Amino acid sequence: MKIFDQIAMCLQNLSRRKVRTALTTMGVVIGTCAIVVMISLGVGLQKSQEAMLAQMGDLTKIEIYNYSGGAGGTSSVPNLDDSMIEQIAAYDHVDVITPVVQAEWGKINIQCGDYIYQDSIYGVYPEALEKLGYVLKEGKYPTGKEKDYTILFGENGPYSFYNPKNPEEWHDPSSGDPPVDIFSDDFTISVNAQDPEGNAKEPEKYDATVTGVLVGDWNKGYETVYGAFLSIDQLYKLYQEYDEFNGISSTSSSAFNPRKINYNRVYVKVTDMKYVDEVETKIKDLGYDTYSMETVRKPMQEQANKMMLILGSLGGISLLVAAMGITNTMIMSIYERTREIGIMKVLGCVIGDIRTVFLMEAGLIGFGGGVIGVILSFAISIVLNVLGGGGLGGLMGGYYYGGGGDAATQISVIPIWLVGLALVFSTLIGLVSGFSPANRAVKISALEAIKHE
Amino acid sequence: MEKTPFIEIRGLKKVYKLGKERVVALDDINLTIQRGEICCILGTSGSGKSTLLNMMAGLERPTKGKVLYSNKDVTRFDERRWALFRQKNIGFVFQSYNLMTGLSGVENVAMPLMFRGMDKDKRTRIAKEVLREVGLGNRMKHKPTQMSGGQQQRVGIARAFVTNPKIVFADEPTGNLDSKTTTEVMELMVNKSRENNQTFILVTHDNGIARYADRIVTIVDGKIVRDEKNESIARTREQIASDNAQEVRQQAAAEEETEVSAPIPADEAAANMSTEGAE
Ligand SMILES: Nc1ncnc2c1ncn2[C@@H]1O[C@H](COP(=O)(O)OP(=O)(O)OP(=O)(O)O)[C@@H](O)[C@H]1O
Ligand SMILES: [Mg+2]
Repeated sequence: MKIFDQIAMCLQNLSRRKVRTALTTMGVVIGTCAIVVMISLGVGLQKSQEAMLAQMGDLTKIEIYNYSGGAGGTSSVPNLDDSMIEQIAAYDHVDVITPVVQAEWGKINIQCGDYIYQDSIYGVYPEALEKLGYVLKEGKYPTGKEKDYTILFGENGPYSFYNPKNPEEWHDPSSGDPPVDIFSDDFTISVNAQDPEGNAKEPEKYDATVTGVLVGDWNKGYETVYGAFLSIDQLYKLYQEYDEFNGISSTSSSAFNPRKINYNRVYVKVTDMKYVDEVETKIKDLGYDTYSMETVRKPMQEQANKMMLILGSLGGISLLVAAMGITNTMIMSIYERTREIGIMKVLGCVIGDIRTVFLMEAGLIGFGGGVIGVILSFAISIVLNVLGGGGLGGLMGGYYYGGGGDAATQISVIPIWLVGLALVFSTLIGLVSGFSPANRAVKISALEAIKHE
Repeated sequence: MEKTPFIEIRGLKKVYKLGKERVVALDDINLTIQRGEICCILGTSGSGKSTLLNMMAGLERPTKGKVLYSNKDVTRFDERRWALFRQKNIGFVFQSYNLMTGLSGVENVAMPLMFRGMDKDKRTRIAKEVLREVGLGNRMKHKPTQMSGGQQQRVGIARAFVTNPKIVFADEPTGNLDSKTTTEVMELMVNKSRENNQTFILVTHDNGIARYADRIVTIVDGKIVRDEKNESIARTREQIASDNAQEVRQQAAAEEETEVSAPIPADEAAANMSTEGAE
């Protein structure tokens, strides 16, 4: 038999008993709806939690803190140095890594005319900035390959310049312009004299280029608001010069040799949220302290998953009832059609074709019910979102962090995978329910069937 | 030159076990049927006619013995091979018509072609043609429930012949019809079989109907008791018709003592019986 004829026969059989087909399909529709809506609530909850967490910080960022860092720690923890950074960078799913070294206050000055910046200077790998999620407000990111000193400011960095001759002069970031214009003014960078009185000569001033400013984000850190970024190599060059200029011997310098340094802080960015746990565990196993949103996210997600499982099982039960309905319908249909099956067999229809037609009927009830169920679920989802905006998710959010804000507006979310899952599942339920009746149909003795009234 | 028998039945036996009771429905049946033969299996109710027919068509398995088509042993065919064999080679006419109630006349007739995988346009065209040949050109779209018994049986006949099978089996095809319709239906089947040199095997308890056959095999209690060439076949069809109407009681007198089968020679002795799948 051609597949087309099998389909035609299947449709014909289903349409011959319209009411029964409709009722059976309805069972699947309700089951599918139950599953989809229930899971959509779970997904909505998860989504609102994620949005909430994202507001609190970067979900894919791991911060490594090495408290034994500094001058040659004595603990068993290995030094967090450049070779260790290379090792961590080679882990699977690590997107980018950078040490973060905050320059000791007062060692380095950025100067522009009469104004001096001494706020917070950070040494990082400049090429990591963009991937770490620091957002540029103006200008461009430094590439790390510049010969000259290259600076990227936090959003309000330019407001932190002050005039030593007039310390009272104050530039408010929320109103008015900063004292310096990063794009048109000339900047220089220099080390500071430890004892300005005792030193005969002035430290040398190097030309510096400012490439841009970042969007300030307190969730990402102080550095994005008032900081200034330098490449870590340039920072070390300045450190060396500082030691030389102030006559500090290399042995007592903590920062002299970049290859031997033990970093205090390193940021790691993984490619996806789901790898945070894996990478973080590996780093922890090395003996370092870490911090990521994972510690907050995980229990929340576990709870959301548990919730989704409970809700999904509730839906699953109704689909199970629907499955029994399909089996029942198919068995009824076989009794009614015993004679026809017998005739078909006598006339040379191979049993494979008969089985296929029956499976198609059951599968079609499942699939059709699934399609209608999914459509209906979308309607229900919309209604839920309109009526109960901020409902379940908001509730949970409120429970955790005093309100998830605008993140928790969608109580029910139906992602595309749920649609696929529902359709596959409902069709499968149909096929499985139809399997035993179909086998029963092919086992019918042709002879007995044609005697059957 | 020895002719290859078209259908050969050797030592066929069928025993039904009902609890402790054993019913011997067929006992050591030996029968050879040639291509193009119109053969009637005649016997009283319960004599085992249907059982024999069903075993020849693979609807039942013999307890013992063999069925061969063109020397090919089909006795041990599995269900699928039997289905394909029937699809290719066998047409069926039933006493109770056995039409699909949900399908129209044309769809019923086209069904065996559909099982073969023929596309819809082609099979509908062929089915319509055959329906016209059986005189139902004006009832094509009717459902079986909208037809008389005679019309339904014509649909059944059209369905049996639509695939142009090598063999057509008919089990009491006129059992539910009146005498006039019986004559029409019998003539239709016999003529169609002759036209295409098809082997037609007719099962009946009615001597009058047996007259349409070239050969009459009589079964009593599962055994062949007589196998004779039909004398009356020499006569014209009109005479047969009138025989059926008026001379039913004279059947006994017409019996003759021919023991050996005298089949009508088939033009091609060993027809290639295909057991392959549908095209
Ligand atoms: N499925 C079965 N189980 C048990 N016995 C059976 C079965 N089918 C047939 N028989 C027996 O086998 C014998 C032959 O039956 P069969 O149907 O072949 O008779 P028949 O000649 O076709 O009769 P009729 O003219 O009434 O149709 C009968 O005695 C019947 O009771
Ligand atoms: Mg019978």
